[in-house]
Formats: sequence, C-alpha cells, structure tokens
Amino acid sequence: MALNGDEEDFKWEPPTEAEMKVIQARRERQDKISKLMGDYLLKGYKMLGEACEVCGTILLQDKQQKNYCVSCQELDSDIDKDNPALNAQAALSQVRERQLAAQSPAPSQAPELNDSPSSSQENMSVPQPRPEHCEGAAAGGRTPLPPPAVPPPSTPASTAALAPARPSVTPQSSAQRLVLQEAEEAVLTKLRWATNQLQSSASLEASIQLCSLINSCANSLRSLKELTQ
Amino acid sequence: MQSSAASASNPGAVGVLEAVILRSFGPEGGQVLFTRDTGQVLLSRSGTRILTALHLEHPFARMVVECVWKHSSATGDGSKTFILLLASLLRLIHAAASKGSNVSHSYSSTKAAEAATARHLADKLLAFGLKELDELIATGVVPYGGCISWEDFTVEAQTSSLTNNLCVQKLLRSFFHTRCGYTHCDFSSHLTCELLSHWNFKNQLPSFSLQLVSDYFPALHTPVSGFPVRSSRLIEGQVIHRDFATPPLKTDHQPVKAVVLTGSLQPTLLSTGDVLELGYRGRMKEERSILHFSSWMESSLQGVIAKLQTLGVCVLLSAVKQSAAVLALATQAEMCLVECVSEDELSLFSQLSGTTPIWDCSMIESEHVATLAFCRPIQLGAHRYKKHTSITIKPCSLIICAPGEGQIEQYACALQDAIRMLLRTWEPMLAAATTTSKSTLQSHKGASLHTDSLTEQTPYRSIAIQPIQKPGCVLSAGGLFELLLHYALLQHGHSCSVSPDLNIDASVSQLLANALLSVPQKIYSHSPHHFLESQRRVEGPLGDVSELDLGLESVSCKYQLLLAVLQCVASLLKVDAVLPTHTALHTQSRRLARTSWEDTEDEGEG
Repeated sequence: MALNGDEEDFKWEPPTEAEMKVIQARRERQDKISKLMGDYLLKGYKMLGEACEVCGTILLQDKQQKNYCVSCQELDSDIDKDNPALNAQAALSQVRERQLAAQSPAPSQAPELNDSPSSSQENMSVPQPRPEHCEGAAAGGRTPLPPPAVPPPSTPASTAALAPARPSVTPQSSAQRLVLQEAEEAVLTKLRWATNQLQSSASLEASIQLCSLINSCANSLRSLKELTQ
Repeated sequence: MQSSAASASNPGAVGVLEAVILRSFGPEGGQVLFTRDTGQVLLSRSGTRILTALHLEHPFARMVVECVWKHSSATGDGSKTFILLLASLLRLIHAAASKGSNVSHSYSSTKAAEAATARHLADKLLAFGLKELDELIATGVVPYGGCISWEDFTVEAQTSSLTNNLCVQKLLRSFFHTRCGYTHCDFSSHLTCELLSHWNFKNQLPSFSLQLVSDYFPALHTPVSGFPVRSSRLIEGQVIHRDFATPPLKTDHQPVKAVVLTGSLQPTLLSTGDVLELGYRGRMKEERSILHFSSWMESSLQGVIAKLQTLGVCVLLSAVKQSAAVLALATQAEMCLVECVSEDELSLFSQLSGTTPIWDCSMIESEHVATLAFCRPIQLGAHRYKKHTSITIKPCSLIICAPGEGQIEQYACALQDAIRMLLRTWEPMLAAATTTSKSTLQSHKGASLHTDSLTEQTPYRSIAIQPIQKPGCVLSAGGLFELLLHYALLQHGHSCSVSPDLNIDASVSQLLANALLSVPQKIYSHSPHHFLESQRRVEGPLGDVSELDLGLESVSCKYQLLLAVLQCVASLLKVDAVLPTHTALHTQSRRLARTSWEDTEDEGEG
C-alpha cells in the first residue's frame, strides 16, 4: 500500500472556520452514533468485533442474529448532500468554486502524484472557506493536487458504491443544465486522468483504487445523464 | 478490522461504553433495570454490573470491561469514572497525535505515524503517573482534605458524639448515595459501621478486620427478601445457611461442641464398576453375603460415632451430604447434623474457632473439636437456618432485607464494595511484588497483550509504590479531586516548560489535566452553575471540608483509579492489529470468555 518513500513536509496549521464547522458536525454525529449504540446495547444487542464496510462504524447484532449498522441505517449519510450528482446545491457550489479558482492565482504545480488516488478527492486548492464542502476536505487537507487544475468531483471513491443513483426531481432550467454539463466535463476529465494513471501504474493497490475511481466516475456520469433526462 | 480504539471518523468501542454509563453517572444518575428471559430482574447503578451485563464481542470493549472489573474488585468503586477518564484520555491523545504526527518520518502512512505517536504519549503518561503523580497529589490535593481516624469505629453506635465532620459514616453515606439512592444511604452507612465495629479486633490494624469482613462477606450476610430495607439488622452469631438434617438439640446445654467434616463419615469403599468378591476364608465354613459386608460397615460407622460421643460432640457440620445410615446413627446418638455447608462458611467457622476440619474419620482428635456458646435454628423470612457462636470470639452476621431479589443483590454488592473501598482507604497500596516500578514496567511492555489482560494480578498491583499519603485520607466529593489535580498539573506543566529538556513533561501533564476536567464537567452537566461554585470552592480556605451536601470520597481510591486508567490506555494503544480467530467452543460466562487474539507489529513496513 505504501507508495511514497519520501517524507511529507507536513506543517500543521490551525483549522479554518469551515473546517471547524465540519469537525464540529462530525463530533456531533459521533456523539449521536455513540448514544444510539449505547441504547441498543442496553436493549440487549450484541456489539460485534467487526466494523461496517461502508462507514466503519462498529456493527451491532440483535437477538435474531441480524447485523445492524447504526449510522448507515438510522442516521442519514452526511456526505450525500455534497455529492454534486445527487444534490443540486452541491453542484451549484462546485460551479462557484471553479469560478473562484479561475480568478485566484493558479495553485502551484503539484509534483508527480505519489499517493493513492483515494485521497485525491480531498482538495483545498482554493483557500476560501466553503462550508458545504465534503468531509474529506478537513481530513486530507494539504495533499498535493492532481495535475489538472479542475478540482475533481467530490465523490469519495469508497462511498460511490453506497450512494445509489437517486432520481432527482429538480426542475430543468438552463443554469441547471450548464451546471450538469460542467459536472460531466469534470467527471470525464477525471476519468481520462485515471485511465492514464492506470496504464502506467505498477502497484496492485493503486490499480485497484484507480479502477474503483473509474467505476465511481462512470456511476456519476450515469447519474448525471439521468438528471439531464 | 478497526485497529485503533477510537479512530478519527468513528466512535470507538470506548465511546460507546461511555454513552452507556453516562446516564447513570453522578449523584443524579439513573438506575438501569435489566431483565432476563427467565423473568429475573437486576437493578443497578454500579458501572461494573452494567458493563458486565452487556453482550460484547468487540475485543477492545471486552478488554476495557475486564480492566474495569479488575479495578472494581480491588477498590470497590469508580468504574464509571474509569470509563469517562479513559474515553477523554483516548480522545485527547488521538487529537494530540494527529497534530504532531510529522515528528516521525519512518512510517508508511500518516495513520501508522499517528498510532506510533499515540502509543508514545500513552507510555509517557504512564511513566509520569507512576513517578510524579503521587507527589503532586500529596502537595496539591491532600492539603484540601482531611484524615479519618479509625477510632470512629470503636465509638459505640448509640452515642452520636461524632462532632468531627470527617467521619467514616459520612464517607459511607456518600458512597451509598451514589450506589443505592438517597433514601436509605444513612441507614446503610450506620449498619455498615455497626458491623465493622463488632468485627474490630483489639491490637490489630484496621485493615485486618476490614480484610476479614471483605473476604468472608458472602458467609457473613444473609439475604432475606420480602421485607422493607429498614428491617436489615445485625444478629449475634454466625449463620449457616442450611437447616438441620436431624432434629435439633433438645437441651440447650452449654457449651456445645462441634466438629467440621469435609468428607462422608461412611467411607465409600465401593464405587460404580467395582466388583466385590465375597468368598470363603480359610477355616470359616459359613457363607459370606452382602449382609455381612454392610453390617461390618455399620459397625465401623458406629465406632466413629462413639468416638465423637466420647469427645462430647453434639453438632456435626458437614461439607457433603451424608448417607442415610449416618443420619440415623446421629439421630440415635442425639447429635445434630447440618449437611452441604458451603466452603466459605466452613472456613470462617474454622478461622473463628481455631479448629481444623476432619479429613480422616479414623483420626479424630480433640483439636478438631470446636466449642460453641449456642447452636440453634433461626427462621429468617421463608427459610430456616442454623445459628451458632463461639465462645472466644463473638461474631455477628448481617441480615439484609429488601423487597425484591434484584434489590437485595444491589444492596449486598453495595455493602461489599463499601467495605472494599474502606479497605483501600486505609491500606493504599497492597504491593504484591517487591520489585521496583521501573523494572516491572519494562517487562510488562515486552509482554503480549494477551497475558497483560489475562493474568490474575493486574499490572499496577505488581508494581511497588511507596504510599506517600497517610491512611484514611479523604476529600470532599463532587469532582473536587479532579479539579485540584487539574490545577496542580497545570502548575507543574508551567514550571516544567521553563526548562527545555522537561518540555515533554509539560505536554503530558497538560494532556492529563485536560482529561481530568471531563469528570466534573459530566457531574455538573445538569447544573452548570454548581460547577462554577465548586471551582470557587477550590480557591477557598484550606481544609474547608464542612460541605454537608456533597459527602466525602477517598483519595487513595482516586489515585489508584488514575493509575489503572493510565495502564489501560497504554495497553489499548499498544495494539496494532487484531486478528480474529474462531474458537471451537464460544462460551459466555459471567467473567467474559476469552477469545484468543494476538497483536502484530506492522510498523516499519514498506
């Protein structure tokens, strides 16, 4: 799994406002999950030694031997609202981001991408605070950008499989169509990049991750096509 | 498999356990009512009972509950505080580790680097706790408290001339308040003090009688359901929880002599599968039959009974069930027999009377014979028991009454834990080994996690620590200990940060100080203005412990709790990976079943 041999020059800086909000939201979510799990334990559920593959929360098992994940099945996922393919608001905000990115000085040319593509969704190229950005932003933070200046779609590779293609009921407007087109473009760019990387990749783990990225890009494209119809 | 106890994006097992006990924490905490499928009901506010009643298969959760259980059996209190401190320490350590993970460069990913930093921090915390914490407590916390003297026990229960606010009753009262509720805390503490004063031996350390009562507590108390709690009282004599198998003594002549039998009087010469050969003997012409054999057995039995009669024995206490022949002969000889007496009752009896049980029925000497002042049946609730007392030492037993079975268990556990807590107050550290702290710490670092959590002696017990605190040191309850220690640690941190080489100590004490603050925060989560008031109290005059509403708590119990938490944190963070293996028989006993798992070292890879 280890792809980088060189050291990361990792300077820790205090989190910005937006990141603080994200951290706060995450902490509240954790507390809610803990409380729910505690209630279930007191009701007689068993705490298993496994974690959910989707979100990583510890699984519970009831008396009928059925496994139950508290965060997936009870709490709404907090990242679905950031997926531009599923949420118009997120798509709009992404457009705004790109406009700002075009105006601000171009980010420094990142060196050859040397960490796994699964962290590529974390991007903070534009330092302006964006409160509704995906949760990966605060965690990943400062990893170098992929070569294209266009921010990749904020669909995390691991949860792309989770988010089913929900048919959205947004009205068809020209702004909407513009946004969707741009989203499509971005996804295609990413797909292209991932294919290139896959051809030159030597590590098994990286290939697997690239394939899953391609898969999620394809899913996003499918959802976007559905939206335009 | 989640390898860290509390990863960044998910609440770990410890967070969930914290959520479980949080509602029962503090003086306003609620009770948990457990029901079994059989209809049995368990009512509890004790953290240990709640945690051990949960179904847990997660290895970290089981490990933590095991640590809590061990700690609680040593100190009797503080299991919920344990979980709270553990959770807040883990959170703070992970936060600190994610900030400072750029320190080490030899790890493949940030996650491994974070884990290594966390482990490093935990070890530092533990070292700090073992070396400097008791000094800090002695200088920063103890001056705000006081000392309870043991003589309070010997004061007659009737006289209420306890003008001193620092008394054992107050300590017990606050304990029972948190454990059993406000209604009966006065009564329970009074009862406990009475019990302990009866068992007080002259010229002995207080811890001797406390240890005795604590060890033999199951034999010393009798639960009786169906009565109100206020009917609980002390009675003279030791109660054997079995009825007479033969009619009791007709004449109550004193003194009564008794012996303890560990085996059957009638020796079992034949067992299943044996073949008895009855045959001719040389010049005997008559046939031998089974009747002859059994009559021979009876005559040997009669010999034993006759021997007992010559020694004047009237009471036989047997650990096993005796045969019908024995019963018949004993009734004939006007001896009373009690069968199937439990081990601890017999051992208490032997200890009090100074006699040894009879092993071999053919060798009965006078040293096996105990002299009792009286021996008679007693009816308690729905059961008839037997009661006796010895001449030299006058024991007394406790009868615990409660309306239901669940409540009886609750009160009995609370009493036992109260006595353990008192024992810990007067005997701060019972060091099992005499090796110095440093060497045992090294050896335990090398030992695998498996043995750490499974050995009988918990790690902190085998480390010899000089108790700086005087025995009997107490402090006002309600989070005062944590607040005082918090300030002491901050001051220590400031003084350490002046010199650059002690910089690590500063961050460690800062971390511990922040973690400690979580306890008073949770206590006063319902009433924040009380929190401010308690902070103000800290700056008040020294030795001001006349707060009547909050009660007292023991300083050495708190210190031991802190050390146990630091040990647990260090053990938890030592785990790099957990490999699940399937055992053939997965039995769930009350003391959590052991699923085998190992930890591997995967740092430095790649």
